[in-house]
Amino acid sequence: MTAARVLAGGRMVPLLDRIAQKYRLTAPVKEDGVVLYRRVDGGREVCLDFGLPLVPPKAHFFPQTERLFSYNAADGLELKEPPGITASVLFGVRPCDLRGFAALDPVFGGRFADVYYQDKREHTTVVGLGCTAVRPECFCTAYGGSPVDEQGADLMLTRVGESYLAEILTPKGEQLVRRSAEFFPPEGAGEAERAKAALGRELEARFTRRVDLAGVKEKANTLFESSYWGKPAHRCLGCGICTYLCPTCHCFDIVDEDRGDRTGARWRCWDSCMFRDFTLHTSGHNPRGSKMERVRNRFLHKLSYHLDRYGLPGCVGCGRCIAACPVNIDITRVIAEIKEAG
Amino acid sequence: MSGERNPLLPYRATIREIIPETGDVKTFRITLDNPQAAAGWRHEPGQLAMLSVFGAGEAMFSISSAPTRRDFLEFSIKRMGKLTRALHEMEAGGRIGVRGPYGNHFPYEKFQGKSLLFVGGGIGMAPLRSLIDFVLAAENRPRYGRVEILYGARSYDDLCFKAQLLDGWHHKPDTVVYSTIDRAEARWTGHVGFVPAYLEQVAPRPENKCAVLCGPPVMIRFVLEALKKLGFADGQIYSTLELRMKCGVGKCGRCNIGAKFVCLDGPVFSMAEIGELPPEF
Ligand SMILES: Cc1cc2nc3c(=O)[nH]c(=O)nc-3n(C[C@H](O)[C@H](O)[C@H](O)COP(=O)(O)OP(=O)(O)OC[C@H]3O[C@@H](n4cnc5c(N)ncnc54)[C@H](O)[C@@H]3O)c2cc1C
Ligand code: SF4
Ligand code: SF4
Ligand code: FES
Repeated sequence: MTAARVLAGGRMVPLLDRIAQKYRLTAPVKEDGVVLYRRVDGGREVCLDFGLPLVPPKAHFFPQTERLFSYNAADGLELKEPPGITASVLFGVRPCDLRGFAALDPVFGGRFADVYYQDKREHTTVVGLGCTAVRPECFCTAYGGSPVDEQGADLMLTRVGESYLAEILTPKGEQLVRRSAEFFPPEGAGEAERAKAALGRELEARFTRRVDLAGVKEKANTLFESSYWGKPAHRCLGCGICTYLCPTCHCFDIVDEDRGDRTGARWRCWDSCMFRDFTLHTSGHNPRGSKMERVRNRFLHKLSYHLDRYGLPGCVGCGRCIAACPVNIDITRVIAEIKEAG
Repeated sequence: MSGERNPLLPYRATIREIIPETGDVKTFRITLDNPQAAAGWRHEPGQLAMLSVFGAGEAMFSISSAPTRRDFLEFSIKRMGKLTRALHEMEAGGRIGVRGPYGNHFPYEKFQGKSLLFVGGGIGMAPLRSLIDFVLAAENRPRYGRVEILYGARSYDDLCFKAQLLDGWHHKPDTVVYSTIDRAEARWTGHVGFVPAYLEQVAPRPENKCAVLCGPPVMIRFVLEALKKLGFADGQIYSTLELRMKCGVGKCGRCNIGAKFVCLDGPVFSMAEIGELPPEF
């Protein structure tokens, strides 16, 4: 249902002000030099000049800590679910992170659909923002992505010259544009579309990481028992930051927080397969007791298991894990080494 | 939130009766508080449920009562850590949470027309009991051949389900029960010895039979060796896998073995299927 419009560069801040009046708005904000998605009240707070926010926007649908319900077991037993969210806009999502949502949708959907995730997904309009630069860690093209790919957005904005091309991709995107129609004239859209295509070609030529995934899944599966995994595992500190910052990681823990009077709440919090306790049984038995097993699980999840289960890659090539790992464990190098490993 | 039922929100339930099994195992008989939820509950033998003690948390357990019992659910639970300790401290009338049923089930459809051999150790009898009672229920019994049950524990005190084991199941048609304890005791007149050795001695024949095993990993390892010697093929042998679980619904990522989630794709696997999994459990 693509329809194209143009947004003048100078009209972005007033547009965000308008959106904030009509929706609960989450957008990139610069805090102490770090760009993060935050709730904002207007366009002035929003950072428009950024590479990739540190924490992926999956946190909007799957917060780092989330109350599942509160309970009162003091007299009788009452369970109370939190209210759903009001109509929201998640602004400024990069193409790789849009694909991250696609990787998470089948996890939180399907049988036993997760109502917390689904509720936020349903009530959120996603406004994508095409990239204007390629970071040294980026390798989205390995998975068929592109710095200007609009797939997964409701409304996609791409900076071309002094203005933005606005592509309306879904009924939600259309509704958002309809509610602020004066910002989105149709004139010049054809030209902007051509400019976007040119920008895409220009950016794609600038990738420094060229990753060829042909045969990697099949090869990785043959390496389960290989000593290769000892190599990255030897350096790994088990800090888990690679999984916390990954747009496709979805592991969580569930814990009760009791006030001491048999009232309290049950929470879920991001967890990580890189932690030893993740799989530890009460008996002391641990199926992934060694770091080698945990590192292997993470990479095989990214390169093989997610694909087997959902037909979609478990990595979108955002490069966050490469940038954040304190000991420079680099998934693109692991991919290259898998191909070499005997 | 949306109208669909939230899979992470437990049903409220009440403990009706607590049956002490051993020094550290109790069977909890519970009913769901909401009559509609109770009427709508359907589980299959081998399926699981998450039990909550609010404030202590949740853990996954096999449903140890057969689906043929429609008026209650039973769980046989060993005291291990925080949640199981909290459960063991509760009394009849106490309120808990239940969600489920989860997981696949023992393929009782495929077992039809066959004889069945059950081999259990310790608390491993919990999932087996659901299937044994299902198969031995009058309405199902004609569909199955001879039933042999071999169960062992460390001591007499550690034998679960004593009433059924010592004076219940063997009264059913074409049903044989073998029980054993690891070391001799004055009050025990039955067999003494480990489960795998006893199994070799009993020497059940493999023809047109399926074997279902549950118990501690060491026992399973040696029972498998014994079954091989007796001529059982991997496709005839079924067991359950236990991995730590949080969500039970394939979301939290905790129970994976390769691309499988044990909470959805398990806990029941044939040995042939287990042989195809990466060895990480
Ligand atoms: C498919 C399946 C079926 C099962 N069926 C049954 C069944 O029918 N009957 C049954 O009895 N059990 C069954 N279990 C096992 C049962 O789920 C565990 O015993 C239970 O989760 C223990 O929970 P807990 O809160 O008591 O233990 P906790 O150990 O308190 O729980 C959580 C975690 O806390 C940590 N922890 C706790 N204590 C210590 C400590 N002392 N030192 C260090 N760390 C600690 C461990 O990391 C532990 O994994 C089953 C499990 C699965 C997965
Ligand atoms: S594995 Fe690394 S590069 Fe791939 S999506 Fe996750 S954080 Fe990005
Ligand atoms: S970020 Fe690096 S050191 Fe930390 S767990 Fe991941 S691979 Fe290991
Ligand atoms: S217990 Fe959460 S995925 Fe299986």
